Amino acid sequence: MAAEKSGLPQGTLDLLILKVVALGPVHGYAIAQRLQQVSRDVVQVPQGSLYPALHRLENRGLLAADWKETETGREAKFYRLTRKGRAQLEDEAASWQRLAEAVAAILKLSEGSAG
Amino acid sequence: MNWWLRLLRRSRLEEQLDREVSDHLERHAADLIARSYTPAEARRLARLALGGPEQVKEQCRDAQGTRWLEDLWQDLRYALRTLRKKPGFTITALLTLGLGTGAVSTAFTLANTLFLRELPVDRPERLLVVQATRRHGQRPGWVSYPDYVHFRDHARALQSLAAHYSTAPLFVTANNQSKELNGAVVSANFFPLLGLQPSLGRFFRPDEDAVPDRDRVAVLSDSLWRNWFGASPSALGASLKINGVSFTVIGVAPATFRGVTVSPNELYIPLMMAGAGYRWCTDSLAADCTILEMIGRLSEGRSVEESRAEAATLLPPSWAAAPEGENTGVTVFRARGALHPDLTRGEQIRFVEVLSAVAAALLLVCCVNLAGLLLARHSARTREFAIRASLGAASPRLMRHLMIEPVLLAAGGGGLGLLFSLFLTGALNTAFYSFDVEGHPLFYDFAPEPRVILWVAAITICAGFLTAFIPALRFLGADAAEFLKRESSAISARPRLGRWLAAAQAAAAVALVAVAGLLLASARSLVSGTNFEASHIALMRLRPRLLKYPAARAQAFLHRAIERLQSTPGVESVSMVGNGAVVVGGGAPVALPRWPATQSFECGYIEIGPRYFETLRTPLLSGREFDLHDTAQSPPVAIVSQALSQRLWAGGTAMGATLLVDGRPHRVVGVAADIALQSRGEPLQPYVYVPFWQNPLQLDARLAVRVAGDPAAMLAVLARQVNAVDPDVPIAETITLPFQMAGAVRSGRVTGSFVSYAAVLAILLSGIGLYGTLAFSVSRRGREIGIRLAVGARPGEVLSMVVREGMTIIAAGAGVGIVLAFAATRAIRHLLYGSGSAEAQTYAAAALMVACVGLLAAWFPARRASRVAPVSALRQE
Repeated sequence: MAAEKSGLPQGTLDLLILKVVALGPVHGYAIAQRLQQVSRDVVQVPQGSLYPALHRLENRGLLAADWKETETGREAKFYRLTRKGRAQLEDEAASWQRLAEAVAAILKLSEGSAG
Repeated sequence: MNWWLRLLRRSRLEEQLDREVSDHLERHAADLIARSYTPAEARRLARLALGGPEQVKEQCRDAQGTRWLEDLWQDLRYALRTLRKKPGFTITALLTLGLGTGAVSTAFTLANTLFLRELPVDRPERLLVVQATRRHGQRPGWVSYPDYVHFRDHARALQSLAAHYSTAPLFVTANNQSKELNGAVVSANFFPLLGLQPSLGRFFRPDEDAVPDRDRVAVLSDSLWRNWFGASPSALGASLKINGVSFTVIGVAPATFRGVTVSPNELYIPLMMAGAGYRWCTDSLAADCTILEMIGRLSEGRSVEESRAEAATLLPPSWAAAPEGENTGVTVFRARGALHPDLTRGEQIRFVEVLSAVAAALLLVCCVNLAGLLLARHSARTREFAIRASLGAASPRLMRHLMIEPVLLAAGGGGLGLLFSLFLTGALNTAFYSFDVEGHPLFYDFAPEPRVILWVAAITICAGFLTAFIPALRFLGADAAEFLKRESSAISARPRLGRWLAAAQAAAAVALVAVAGLLLASARSLVSGTNFEASHIALMRLRPRLLKYPAARAQAFLHRAIERLQSTPGVESVSMVGNGAVVVGGGAPVALPRWPATQSFECGYIEIGPRYFETLRTPLLSGREFDLHDTAQSPPVAIVSQALSQRLWAGGTAMGATLLVDGRPHRVVGVAADIALQSRGEPLQPYVYVPFWQNPLQLDARLAVRVAGDPAAMLAVLARQVNAVDPDVPIAETITLPFQMAGAVRSGRVTGSFVSYAAVLAILLSGIGLYGTLAFSVSRRGREIGIRLAVGARPGEVLSMVVREGMTIIAAGAGVGIVLAFAATRAIRHLLYGSGSAEAQTYAAAALMVACVGLLAAWFPARRASRVAPVSALRQE
């Protein structure tokens, strides 16, 4: 639902979140920023669907969260990857890679060779 | 985090969620401000980007997966509020379910204690009872010391096997006190086998249980140590006299342990000292002295079945030639439940089965009844439910709505039921399981175990769902549209069923109340006595035999003790019996001199002292009492009861006739009135009385002392008087005659208590049933009543119309109930004593009682009906 609105394939948002969090503990706003920056604004994550996704991943035990003080002195909720989350990330990244390669290969076929 | 932790920390999670979202908004706004937006604009854009903080939070809550739980929590709170708003309904429902569950829970508790509870020792699940059997496995048996040694030395499936005699009457003197206590004679491996540690000192060493009559050492129970030695460590090494023999205290058993049978043991002596604990064998360790029971511990890796199979191959050689009635087989079973040496489990199992069946039936009726009540309550919402269902409201949601309330009620009722059952088992325990018939203490541990609580919880949940299911089925029936169409007719069929149910319940209530009344009255009438007067009689048992007194010394002691008691202030008269209990006695064959041997018959037989009938206030119809001139040297005499006199000398006179008692001729010197001890199911027992002093073998006596005041209060004084004659002679069974008689009608009283409990519940149920039916009928007939009122019926007429409807149901039920009670009275004749002259009054009182409750139950719906506002009633449909 939320992923469709963003133009992301189903389940991709979770993968992207896991990848961003894998780089080090990070809070929700920073995840949104990072996604936008890295994808050079190609991926538009509606912020509204980010938090339910984070809570879902936390509930499934793929993410863990701690309340830590930030540079501004305020407490923020920092997400980090659990061992289970890392395994899930590796699995999903690999299968995404395979899928992407397969899709790319199919798209590269010339019209003539299809028949 | 677990879901339930989440629920508990809901407020904290909420707060964190709030902080996280606002943190995001602030950061975004700060970024925007840095890009030179105005603060207000920045905050607006941030909220827009996020898409509404509340929606986000809601989605987060969904994502946390506790949504259903929070909904449930809300529904629960809603149901609780509803219940609180209807206190009358709630209290009635809780009480019914509580009483119903209480009965079930009591049956469970009894079953658990009687059959399942394990001993409070180390790994009790590995303990086995190895028991000899007699009469083709029908009766339990006891074994001799050589038998025990045979089993102990040959059983491979058992790690060890201990022998014990757990009902040893030990007359103990220590610290200037003396009393007969229940002790145990145990083999040295008894305590190690159970895995017990002494709380003080030590247990028996193997070498202290090796040579007969050598090592006079004793282990105290915790209670004896506290009561007689003030829990002092100096009890170790103290000396005490047990049946006249000096022993040294070497240890104290742990407080949790009271022996392995239901007779709690106050002290323990080694098996080799059995001679001091058992006085009826010349050699207590000989092959012909079968007094021991055996308890064993399974070897590692062996099973009960293996041990049982092995034991069957280990029968001592002598058993093969044993005559009928002696040990011929052996059985092995797990040591659990109440181990009562004299009772077979069969009859107890039947008792508990009957109890459970009655309790289950009661609970079922409770549920059906409550369902009816709920149906009546919901009836106003019939349309609403039907419409909601037909409009496609989610069935689960509606179902939950209908389910939650009864399940809550059932849970509350279950908790209440556990409390009730604590109370009920407590009462049963004090009344029936704390003392045996002769006043010896018993210990049945009725404290609830987790197992029982789990069973009750499971039953409660089932009851809740059952209660909820009936109305739910009604409302969420297959075809809602059909239901709506036929609404009126479909429902009007129901009150007829309700009427039948209410009438049946009233019938059951009348029958139960009547039976309870009869049982209790009959127990009272036996205790108070016919042709004897029990209320002022104290009993005590003097046992010089325990001290191995020679006959002359024992008899001299008895004479002096009775003389002294007779001159005690407050004592009116003293007599005694030699065999069996006072009043009850034993049995012996009687015959007339010229009869063939086959014609003799068994008759009640008691050896009595002088002044016996005076003491009991039993009328002597002719002749005289025995006196001190009737001795072993004078010609044998007898007194017969009126029943015996009429049977043997009908039309003639018994006086001066000769009667053969156990083959010996006695001259009849008196005829006494019949003492009726039989239940209504049995014929009157004839009795023959012979003089105590004409039996030179009789050493022990049970005294009956008539006092002016309360016999219970006199017991201590009387015991002191006897002690003054000879401080060493054991006095036991110092109880009152009413106490003893009450023990004789124990089964009637147990049944009476249960039936009374069931009767209370039945009355409540019939009240609820009637209320439910009438309330339902009134709500269905709202329009009719409205029309009646509109065309001029007075509210009083409507009121009496509804009350009449209710009382017709009750009257029909009560009529059937009296017939039922009459049938039940015949079925329980074996539990009823005394004449049935007051039965009619009992039936009438029962019917009246139920009618009063019915009137009350009918009053409320009737009053509601009479207050219907005609206009609103007519507008209703």
